[in-house]
Order: sequence, then C-alpha cells, then structure tokens
Amino acid sequence: MEEWRIIPLEHFDSFENMAIDEAIFRIGRQREMPPTLRFYGWKRPAVSLGYFQDAEREINCGYCRDRGIDIVRRPTGGRAVLHGDDLTYSLVAGENSPHFFSDIVETYRIISECIIRGLEKSGVEAEMAEEGRAGSGSAEAFCFAASYRNELLADGKKICGSAQVRAKGMFLQHGSLLMDFDPVAVCAAIITKDTEAEVKALESSVTSIRKSVGDNVGIDTLCRNIAAGFEEVLNIRLIEGELSPEEETLRDSLLENKYRNARWNMGRGAKSGH
Amino acid sequence: MSFPNDLVYSREHAWVRIDGDIATVGITDYAQDKLGEILSVELFPEDSPVEQGEPFGAIESLKVTIELISPVSGDIISVNEDLADDVGILNSDSYDTGWMIAVGVRDLGELDNLLDAEAYADYVEECEEVD
Repeated sequence: MEEWRIIPLEHFDSFENMAIDEAIFRIGRQREMPPTLRFYGWKRPAVSLGYFQDAEREINCGYCRDRGIDIVRRPTGGRAVLHGDDLTYSLVAGENSPHFFSDIVETYRIISECIIRGLEKSGVEAEMAEEGRAGSGSAEAFCFAASYRNELLADGKKICGSAQVRAKGMFLQHGSLLMDFDPVAVCAAIITKDTEAEVKALESSVTSIRKSVGDNVGIDTLCRNIAAGFEEVLNIRLIEGELSPEEETLRDSLLENKYRNARWNMGRGAKSGH
Repeated sequence: MSFPNDLVYSREHAWVRIDGDIATVGITDYAQDKLGEILSVELFPEDSPVEQGEPFGAIESLKVTIELISPVSGDIISVNEDLADDVGILNSDSYDTGWMIAVGVRDLGELDNLLDAEAYADYVEECEEVD
C-alpha cells in the first residue's frame, strides 16, 4: 500500500502557513518525496489573496489593518479567502503520481472525492458542483462567491474552495473548509459595492460545517475524517510526519524573504521573482 | 494540435524560436489547451536574468496557476506588452502573437536539452498516456 506523509493539524500565522506549504512544494519537486497532506488553522485571522489578485483594488486593507487581520498572498491562484473559522488543507504531489493526473480537472475531482468521503463521516452530505456557478455582484473577489465544476457544495451551497499551482511536474492544492461562516465579516474585509446585498447573496450561497451539523463535529474530528477519506478513496496509508530539516530551512528563508514582505503580499507576484 | 517544425520545445511545454543568439519564448498549443481559458499572465520585466529550468513568470487560468519555466538562460531583452491588453491571444495564437519574452541567450549549448517538434509530439503523447 502506498504511503503518504500527513502533517497533523497545527495553528500558525498566515505567513508561516504559506511558507510551509511552498517549502513542501519546492523541496518536493527537487526530491522524490511522497505526497504530503497537511491540515492547518490560523493563529490570527487573515485574508489570503490569490496569486494574481490586487490587494489594494480588491481588499479593504484599512479594515484589515485596524482589526489585526493579516493579508498574505498565496502561491496558488483563485480568489480571496477570509481565514480564521476554517480548516485549511494543502496537498503536494507529483502530477503523474499513481493517483493523480496531469489533467487538472481530474485532479480536483479525485481530491474532492476524498474530502466528500471525510465529510460524509462527519455527517455532512456534500457533492461536487457539476456546473460552475458564476459569481454575482461585487464580492467576486471572494473565493466563496462563485463555484466551479468539481468544487464542493453541501445543501447546494459552497462549503469548500480550492486552488492549485503547478510547476515542474508537481502540484500544490490549497483548500479551505468552512467550520463557520460570517458573511458580514467577509463583506467588510473585501471591497464591495453594495455590502447589504452581498451579505444576503453570500448567506444564501455559502454554508459551513456548523450550519450543516451544529457543534457535533470539531476541527480535530473533521481532520481525522478527511484523512480517513483520503485513505479509503485512494487506498493509501497516511503516516504522520513533520517537516524535514531541508524544508524547515526553506520555510525560514521564504518567511523572511517573501511572506513577511509587503512587496510580495501587497504587490503582484511574478515581477519580483521568487 | 500543432507543433511547428521550426521551433524547439521544453518538457515544461514552452516553445523556443531561435534567431542568432535571441530566443523568443511562448507556451505550446498543448499547454494552452490543458490550461483552458487563460485569465492573467505575469512576466518578469525586461533586463531580468532567467535560468533554464527556473521561472520567468506565471499564468492563471480558470483551473489553475502555473509557473512559467524558462527553456533558456540569459537576460530578458523584450516582453510582449500586447498580452497585458489581450491575454486571450495565448489561447488563440500561442505560437505567433502570443509570444511572451525574448531572451538574449547566454549559452546556445543549452538548446541541446530541448526537443524538436517530433520528439515533443512523442513527449505529449506520453503525458496523455499517463492520464
């Protein structure tokens, strides 16, 4: 049975979380590393921006600063996510490893199946969005304002948003599973034209674990169930592990030179190089 | 899917047109097809150094973000500014108006690491077989 590494749930600040994921991704593509599944939470609330998003245009930066909400740019694409009440996962694997495919949509589908199995174990009936649902209104900068094929819905509402980056035959997929959801906080953190209308739109199109099953499922249980979902669907064994010394060194360097650097977080990505 | 014979190709799905020691670089028809609708592209600016096998920018499509991996080493001498106005040409005309950067190549010997059209077509077939 194939063995993967799992890095169990821990809470870090937003900059550390992104630096750890990128370190795993970059070291993974230099070495023959097994796929790594990592769960994490957020020590402080944070807005993570998609690689190509423009912070000043799409995020209410003053509001975030005043309330101690970090702003961090992800290495993955997609739209902004307000973190705090969510469980985030990252998965790093070779795009041609036995369970995955160079086909991007197929990779999303397989990972979604694993998460759906984990959600089922948690009492949440989830399904893949068969057709995309376009974002509406000015909250389009927010990840959960739209759903795409193969993203996850519970009761027809989005519960998990995902994004991928690929390079040199490896992929890193980020996903955010909402434990709780506060549309008012989201609309305050993200620039909107009509906040009241956006709050209503998000209330009717986004759900959370708490909305689905109350307080019965905590974040630790959810992690266990999703890990089991991966093991069952892919017929793999997850072995608990930690970062290698090489990954730790790269994490520290990425933290200092990239993720704690406003030029990366507030500017646009590639122009500054990596 | 077309892979013109006058170009050479990297395993990261970039094409290279060589003229003296200038390499014009873009993404292949296969790459744009896999990415689907391309939404944004960001390229390192003129005068930036690039290394073979290292990034020179990134692309975001509806499905995914990818790092653009340079097929050659040298300095970027020109960037296709038209992409800022219409990124769609990467999907519609990836070998011509959809070029991305021109690089003053430091070591023409590095081109030996790239594939001709026939070898690249075989490589693409292999990629598809894995799927």
